[in-house]
Amino acid sequence: MLDVQALPLPYFLLRVRVAAMEPAEPGQFVMVAGANRPEPYLRRAFSVYDQEAAADGSLVISLLGKVIGRGTEALAACLPGERIPVLGPLGRGFHSVASRISGYDGSGSGRAALVAGGIGSAGLGLLAQALARAGRSFDFFYGGRSAEDLVEAETFRRLSERTGGRLVKTTEDGSAGERGLITVPLKAGLRAGAGYTTVCTCGPHGLMAAVAGIAAASGVVGEAATETPMGCGYGACLGCAVTLKNGGYALCCRQGPVFRLDEVAW
Amino acid sequence: MSGDAARRSSPDLSTRVGPLRLQNPILTASGTFGYGLEFADRADLHRLGGLVTKGLSLEPLAGNPPVRIAETRGGMLNSIGLQNIGVDRFLSDVLPGLKDLPPKVIVNLFGYAQDEYVRLAERVDPYEGVAAVELNVSCPNVSKGGIEFGHDPEILAGLVRRVRSATGKPIVVKLSPNVTSPQDLGRAAKDGGADILSAVNTFVGMAIDTATMRPVLSTVRGGLSGPAIKPLALRIVFDVAREVDLPVIGIGGIETVDDVLEFLLAGASAVQVGTALFRDPRTAERLVDGLRERLRTGGIPSVDSLIGAAARPE
Ligand SMILES: Cc1cc2nc3c(=O)[nH]c(=O)nc-3n(C[C@H](O)[C@H](O)[C@H](O)COP(=O)(O)OP(=O)(O)OC[C@H]3O[C@@H](n4cnc5c(N)ncnc54)[C@H](O)[C@@H]3O)c2cc1C
Ligand SMILES: Cc1cc2nc3c(=O)[nH]c(=O)nc-3n(C[C@H](O)[C@H](O)[C@H](O)COP(=O)(O)O)c2cc1C
Ligand code: FES
Repeated sequence: MLDVQALPLPYFLLRVRVAAMEPAEPGQFVMVAGANRPEPYLRRAFSVYDQEAAADGSLVISLLGKVIGRGTEALAACLPGERIPVLGPLGRGFHSVASRISGYDGSGSGRAALVAGGIGSAGLGLLAQALARAGRSFDFFYGGRSAEDLVEAETFRRLSERTGGRLVKTTEDGSAGERGLITVPLKAGLRAGAGYTTVCTCGPHGLMAAVAGIAAASGVVGEAATETPMGCGYGACLGCAVTLKNGGYALCCRQGPVFRLDEVAW
Repeated sequence: MSGDAARRSSPDLSTRVGPLRLQNPILTASGTFGYGLEFADRADLHRLGGLVTKGLSLEPLAGNPPVRIAETRGGMLNSIGLQNIGVDRFLSDVLPGLKDLPPKVIVNLFGYAQDEYVRLAERVDPYEGVAAVELNVSCPNVSKGGIEFGHDPEILAGLVRRVRSATGKPIVVKLSPNVTSPQDLGRAAKDGGADILSAVNTFVGMAIDTATMRPVLSTVRGGLSGPAIKPLALRIVFDVAREVDLPVIGIGGIETVDDVLEFLLAGASAVQVGTALFRDPRTAERLVDGLRERLRTGGIPSVDSLIGAAARPE
């Protein structure tokens, strides 16, 4: 643990040095817990929000969190210098759609819409960076209850503007951006022919379900970084089932957390 | 041997559990480590005493709808619904990769009718890589009005007898803790021809989401596991080991070397580690190292000398 940055409550940013970890792909996650804590019993899944290779070959990862319950309280209470368990990188990130159509690997064409609800922005951090690096244009739609929830707005403004795109904000109380839900400008953008060929989203279930509906109606493909309760994060407990449209189940931690918008039974 | 001499020599971790010989007494519990192989990059399988597969049925099963797990104080509830790839795929795709590893492979089997257990046992019987079968008898017997096989001594004895005639493999019967007197069921399993008992499976429990005012799990009830159940499981292992003349494998909330020692002292000849693997996939191998170290520093020459020590008169 390198440092804990207290962002406006209830948000926090942890920087952790991990000795032997492969860099994460956009959308991948780690399982973490507070230092030396028997409780809560299970580790928590956290998206790798940012990462950089250190000079000594280790990797420094950043985790963007929101205090909700016991697990995130324990993490936010960590002190610099403490050792915390980290398992990862885990799962499959933004892969099929993002790389094929609006590719951060530089092979695609068209523009991307990234849609984050509150702390869901953590799941889109590496993707936004990868798109910016590949010179793929994207707009970042950032919705929250109020201004504090758009905790990393400046980062996403910078990254999207670098690609010729822009940051679009909405809040339910109107304290930042337009008042209302982020799906409103997303829908308008799609209708106005903003040239999106891909939508990638991470946030509350209701938001991702709405984005899936909007994307389908507009004939745009996309992916969502989903969330379920997780026992282990590495495929051992089979507890993280996501129901698919074909009636089957997929493991969020192994086949996900990123799924195609049109394959999940929202 | 004096303490000093024991310290110099490496303690003997090997243990005999009925007809099974294990390189050490630490196994992974059914349903908590998949089929083993898929985690070869996250854990050192070679160092385990044994590996119990996820419960296998005749046909693959998709499992229960979400929500399947709920964290509790000191553990978790699960209602996975016995999702598995089916016995045939296990035998053709997984077993070949496991059979030459040092840990003994124990195949966990379940069904909803006696016949299904029998056919499963027949199916695995020819495979040399299968060291034993473990019967998960915490399943409703559909033809007997849904009472669990493991809740009625007569039904259980009858089931084990039929499986006995279907396989020459050692039979482990995994006891349910959700009965008044698990030792009675243990005795019934022995009468039916079981070689080994394992105890315990999960305790039935539930959790309610106070925000939605609804049960958390899609199935309402689920199985409680983890450190929260350890004292309950330990009591059952103690009673079963004393009252039934069969070797016992202890299961329930094991996470530390002290937990392992407690179960051995209560009468278990080996232990299975389950939920603790979710926190750390290396828990089981860590326990192997820790146990060896504890025996060394304590001057204890072998695992054998610990088994049941707490049950012996002073
Ligand atoms: C793949 C994946 C990636 C994730 N990435 C991040 C991340 O980058 N940053 C981050 O902060 N979190 C992330 N999460 C969520 C995180 O793992 C925890 O579930 C969440 O932070 C709550 O944990 P807790 O222990 O604080 O709350 P708990 O004590 O587990 O829950 C307290 C209460 O809040 C409810 N609850 C649980 N999760 C949520 C939620 N998301 N919103 C509202 N209520 C909830 C629970 O039902 C419970 O009633 C991710 C989850 C997954 C599956
Ligand atoms: C997610 C999960 C899945 C399980 N699946 C099975 C199973 O398929 N068959 C079985 O006999 N026991 C199953 N169990 C029970 C465990 O093998 C073990 O008996 C129980 O969890 C208690 O041990 P623990 O506290 O160390 O986890 C499962 C337990 C968990 C937590
Ligand atoms: S969280 Fe355990 S299998 Fe996915």
